[in-house]
Amino acid sequence: MRRLRVARHGRLHRAARGPLRGGALAAIAALALAAATASAATEITFWYAWGGSEGAVVQALVDEYNAGQDAVRVRSSFVPIGDGERILASLAGGAPPDLITVWDWMVVPLGASGALLPLDEALAAAGVGEDDYLPGIWAYGSYRGAKFGLPTTLNVYGFMWNKDVFAEAGLDPERPPRTIEELDALTAQLTVTDARGNLRRIGFYPNVTAIYFYAFGGQLYDPETLEPTIDHPGNVAALTWLGAYYRTYDINRIRRFQAGWGDMASPYNPFYRGQVAMQEGGQWEVLFTRQYAPDLNWGVTTFPAPEGGRPDVAPVQGSFWVVPKAARNQPEALDFLLWLTAPEQSARFAAALANIPPRADALAMPAFQETVTPELATYIDMLLHGFVFTPPPLPVGLYLSDQLNRALASVQDGTADPREALETVQRNVERELEKYR
Amino acid sequence: MQGRSATARARRARMTRRERRSLWLGLAFVSPWLFGFLVFTAYPVFASLYFSLTDYNVVSSPRFIGLRNYVDLWRDPLFGTSLYNTLYLAAIGIPLALFLSLVIAMLLNTKIRFQGVFRTIYFLPSVVPAVAVALLWRWFLNPDFGPVNQVLEAVGVPGPGWLADPAWSKPALVLASLWGVGGSMVIYLAGLQNVPVQLYEAADLDGANRWQRVRYITLPMLSPVILFNLIMGIITSFQAFTNIYIMTGGGPSNSTMVYALYLYQNAFQFFKMGYASAMAWVLLVITAAALAVIFRTSGWVYYEGRS
Repeated sequence: MRRLRVARHGRLHRAARGPLRGGALAAIAALALAAATASAATEITFWYAWGGSEGAVVQALVDEYNAGQDAVRVRSSFVPIGDGERILASLAGGAPPDLITVWDWMVVPLGASGALLPLDEALAAAGVGEDDYLPGIWAYGSYRGAKFGLPTTLNVYGFMWNKDVFAEAGLDPERPPRTIEELDALTAQLTVTDARGNLRRIGFYPNVTAIYFYAFGGQLYDPETLEPTIDHPGNVAALTWLGAYYRTYDINRIRRFQAGWGDMASPYNPFYRGQVAMQEGGQWEVLFTRQYAPDLNWGVTTFPAPEGGRPDVAPVQGSFWVVPKAARNQPEALDFLLWLTAPEQSARFAAALANIPPRADALAMPAFQETVTPELATYIDMLLHGFVFTPPPLPVGLYLSDQLNRALASVQDGTADPREALETVQRNVERELEKYR
Repeated sequence: MQGRSATARARRARMTRRERRSLWLGLAFVSPWLFGFLVFTAYPVFASLYFSLTDYNVVSSPRFIGLRNYVDLWRDPLFGTSLYNTLYLAAIGIPLALFLSLVIAMLLNTKIRFQGVFRTIYFLPSVVPAVAVALLWRWFLNPDFGPVNQVLEAVGVPGPGWLADPAWSKPALVLASLWGVGGSMVIYLAGLQNVPVQLYEAADLDGANRWQRVRYITLPMLSPVILFNLIMGIITSFQAFTNIYIMTGGGPSNSTMVYALYLYQNAFQFFKMGYASAMAWVLLVITAAALAVIFRTSGWVYYEGRS
């Protein structure tokens, strides 16, 4: 009975479907032909996270890999890294791509939840180990003995200052602050307000709180035990200092000023326009300033630190390549991943993104070295010789950063004491971590 | 009349073959919707009730933890803040919007030239996508170069920081939300068309003035529409999300962290689906309670033909 009805429907629509059907037949024939010629190749899916010219570089690498062998065919598509919901849905649905690009803070939470394939065996079999990577980078993306992904490239933050603004204020443009006291003094000297008391320029604007935790000798977690150490005395000292900064410059005045700042990736970036004289900025600024502010006279150096703090912090962030545990073609995905992270490819990729390759041998490659400017050299030097720290590799990384933002907000508003605020975060994070024990 | 309905009742109790057939046919015709409703609405709703009793991060399977999410909500200071902010925006925003859209509707109901043009102009903002409106308002309210503060400055008033100032961010959102009164205005307009003209004529004969006509005819006749707009206002303002997500993201200092935004953050930024589900159910209970109070106290609503 049911079949009959379907048949009737089919007759009803035949006239309309005629030409379409012809097209479908041709497509099937073409597919069959393609399948016959490439029957040996296993197709894997790869989500990369870069658009525009950067995406074109990834695509070129994929094409090169596909052309270089017959066993694996990589089908790549651009999935923005901010599209965490899509990545999550594919993992939860049990039919994820074979290789995905994710933010660093997602790696350990996903890995600890059992969604990612530990890469340790594959890496050991391929002879890739800690020594191949830059100092401090091997542990990045690992949790309790399992490595859940490989960094695509590295971003490292430095302390930037606008030399023209320094000169305009009668300061030595070649002398950035070395200590927190010098930073405070320069911030005061470089800040400009108008007749109404509104900010026209702020000497210094801190954005990434964790940098100062580490510069003040603190740490967010113990690298040995992987236990959170949010209420570390160094962190408390840094947050106390930040609280004083916000009291001096008035958080509401700063917010009002900020409302008029332009987009970071544009000529209206407040640092490029001299609205912010000193700030944190990653090595991408080498490319950004060339593009958006070619006349800007700026320098980069290590972060100022107080007495007894760390004068050489190198904050590292980046994205990762991960293989889902539910991926259908794991051996092929690993083969492609190992090729993609090999020195030559890694060097070319990092050069195109104005990022830093995570491997020492890739860093030495001519393909990367020929892009190194004096400013980029400073960043690389910080990474090689500084105190490298990454977002905490804890399964509750994002919860932690949200809690820290809340602590910072309460200190900015003067509603909480820095020590108490951090102790609260420590307690909450410990409680949240219990779910993973 | 009565006899017919009695037989209809009797017939309904025992359907004829033809009726049964047409019932199945009807069900078959609505089945795409029924299927969609069961799979994409009913199931997720009840699944979220279960998830609210679990610890669930989407990737690993949910772990039953009883009422812990609800207990945690009670202890979470930001939950209280988000609830307060939502109620604040509702308490100020809804009455203002109700009043403003009613006034505009009454003005646009008077017989003037270009009536249609004016109605279109006032409704037009409601047609603009919410995201575009939010971006526009962010610029309108910019403390330094936004038109609002420039106008204020021109008359010698120093403009506040609006969205950049925790003390002004909520009033700024209320101001921006009034942009969308066109929607309820149209509903009022439809209601105003339904007020019988003879009532006004009778009032005129009795010597009623303008205010008395509004007070004793328009408002009572319009009261069901006001109730409807009030209820819709409560529902939409409890679920406010898009404009706030774009305009402030909850800041500064969580002063505009509203309920739906915090729920979204928990679900899709912190991947705490169980916690977010618990929040959703608490919101449902709060909304239902608010509506129950509104209905219980709706003695002021006049239904024509019912005493």
